[in-house]
Amino acid sequence: MSERRWSRRNVLKLGATSAGVFVAGRYYVGRVHAKQLPPLEKKDKYTIGFAQVGSNNPWRIAETNSMKEQFETKLGWTLIMTDANEDTAKQLADIDTILAQRPDIMIFPPRESQALAPKVLEIYEAGIPVILIDRDVDHSIARPKEHYITFIGSDFVDQGRRAAEWLAKTMNGEANIIQLEGTTGSDPAIDRKQGFEDYLAGTFKGTPTAEGGFPGMKIIASQSGDFQREKGRQVMESLLPAHPEVNAVYAHNDEMAIGAIEALEAAGRKPGEDVILVSIDGENAAIQAIVDGKLGASVESSPFFGPIAYETMMKYIEEGIDAIPEWVVVEDRFFDASNAEEFLDKQF
Amino acid sequence: MANVGQTEARPARPAADRVVLPRWLRAAGQTHGAVIALLLLVLFNAIFTTNYLAWSTLRVNLDQVATIVIVGIGMTLVIATGGIDLSVGALMAIAGSLAPLIFDSDWGPLDRPWVGIPLAIVLPILLTGFLGLFNGFLVTYFRIQPIIATLVLYLGGRGIAKALSDGILLDFNNPSFEYLGKGRPLGIPVQVILMAILLLIAAWMMRSTVFGRYILATGGNEPAARLAGVPVSRVKLAVYAISGLLAGLAGLIWAARISAADPYRAGEFMELDAIAAAAVGGTALTGGRATIIGTLLGAVIIQQVRFTLISHNVSDGTTRIVIAAAIILAVLIQRQREQ
Repeated sequence: MSERRWSRRNVLKLGATSAGVFVAGRYYVGRVHAKQLPPLEKKDKYTIGFAQVGSNNPWRIAETNSMKEQFETKLGWTLIMTDANEDTAKQLADIDTILAQRPDIMIFPPRESQALAPKVLEIYEAGIPVILIDRDVDHSIARPKEHYITFIGSDFVDQGRRAAEWLAKTMNGEANIIQLEGTTGSDPAIDRKQGFEDYLAGTFKGTPTAEGGFPGMKIIASQSGDFQREKGRQVMESLLPAHPEVNAVYAHNDEMAIGAIEALEAAGRKPGEDVILVSIDGENAAIQAIVDGKLGASVESSPFFGPIAYETMMKYIEEGIDAIPEWVVVEDRFFDASNAEEFLDKQF
Repeated sequence: MANVGQTEARPARPAADRVVLPRWLRAAGQTHGAVIALLLLVLFNAIFTTNYLAWSTLRVNLDQVATIVIVGIGMTLVIATGGIDLSVGALMAIAGSLAPLIFDSDWGPLDRPWVGIPLAIVLPILLTGFLGLFNGFLVTYFRIQPIIATLVLYLGGRGIAKALSDGILLDFNNPSFEYLGKGRPLGIPVQVILMAILLLIAAWMMRSTVFGRYILATGGNEPAARLAGVPVSRVKLAVYAISGLLAGLAGLIWAARISAADPYRAGEFMELDAIAAAAVGGTALTGGRATIIGTLLGAVIIQQVRFTLISHNVSDGTTRIVIAAAIILAVLIQRQREQ
């Protein structure tokens, strides 16, 4: 054998060729070969793989509890659960751990839409059906009804629209609004901003709304509070001196709204009276703030995925994939002074 | 940076390879860089930001900078010995998570507020001080590099905090404890008063005590310090413990301010803010040179840049880039002075 056999160039060539073959193979399996979605046979008990993203906020914990309650407590099935601690690499490893135990179905929220998409393909190729909840994957890599059953989640754009609708009505179309945005670049932050701003401009998802635009509803500042209570408070504190004309706040989540309420009170303003706040999530602390008259309203972003995941799964077993839409939209409730009392301490 | 509070224990090194700034900038930077930067920021805001020169705005700014300065003081001492403490953010989370367990406890003796509240303040700070001591122990007795030694608690500390609070954001309602973060005797926020007291003590300590000299000697030239009879190991143990104590206090303030124990986000990125404050203020990251007042100025400058950009509604991404640029510029100016 010649010494040049393992020269750098040859190794590179070999690497490039095998990578090419690998990619082509993926392409073939993923796109050309019309393989069926893995079926789910009818039986009494199922084992469900649930790779949770983390448990660092009340919302996630409520989601976990809802899954446990539905599948373990109510149905007596087996739930194999992992917690990725908000680490994408760990979630990928967690999924492998679960797959090794051969669950009947995987139901989980992918932490990142790009990074988890190839994993969804992998589970598909392993012959295990997948239902994604709360976050979706990149559709250019893995597609609903083709590689996974469906995506169940809230319509964040519509949440933004509903917040705008309530605020426009409450303020009679005249307001100076500060917007507290979520984590820059995250899907809920982008969508909730778009839904809110588009509605005030008179459109919703590209079509004109019946109400038309609200030129009197002016967004005077829009800053990221990173979905955090403390950040929301600090940003609001920093904005208040320069924008004393503010009389409305739209926060992309309840935590930031609660931070903003604290900042307003510290500055001697009266949240709920001279500044009207609206936010999204519907957590317990927000319901309490509505009852206390400080928060105007909160659009729910439901974490209670257990029952709807169960319904969707049973539908797939009984009626097949044709009965299921590409996106099962979660119906979110709306909390304001008229109904907050009855949901006190019943949320998350 | 101004020469206020500046103490030096290391001969200036020749610096032929340094980036050279224009002479006027160098001259200004050499003496009063940080002060000039701060004055420019204040001037800009006074002209362009509505209601900037109001007491309420000053209070908001002091309020926001206080925890960074408190942690920054400990960080400055650690850096002065040639070390670094990455665990401060996690220690804040631990203190904040432990406190509500104590004052919300139903256990007999703790159920009385005059017992529960003081203990809820003292015990978490003692615990984080002890964990700081653990950092120092790894650095001195096991000779682990500080960046690795403190990485242990940076990673593991949030696990401890999570275990303490069952991994959830724990809301509480306790006005006496929340006074630590929301109270305003004479209109001044409590944490600002604490910050001022700690600044005075630390600046005095660095300037006038043997311990201050020991810290600088340890960071300036450790073997020489050891030969000269400086108790190097004990000095290091002490600075890491102090850093832990201060991080614990900052964690309690944070928890009191948001009325919740948040094991995940409390103190997040605090280590970076504190290191940046020290670096911008003129403390040498190689050790041997430290300035407490410089750290205060550094923290205030970073906070003011942030405040200015937010109040002018500059987007989040741009804000981060501008802060990064400000840090580079400040450090570059500082380095000129060493020539």
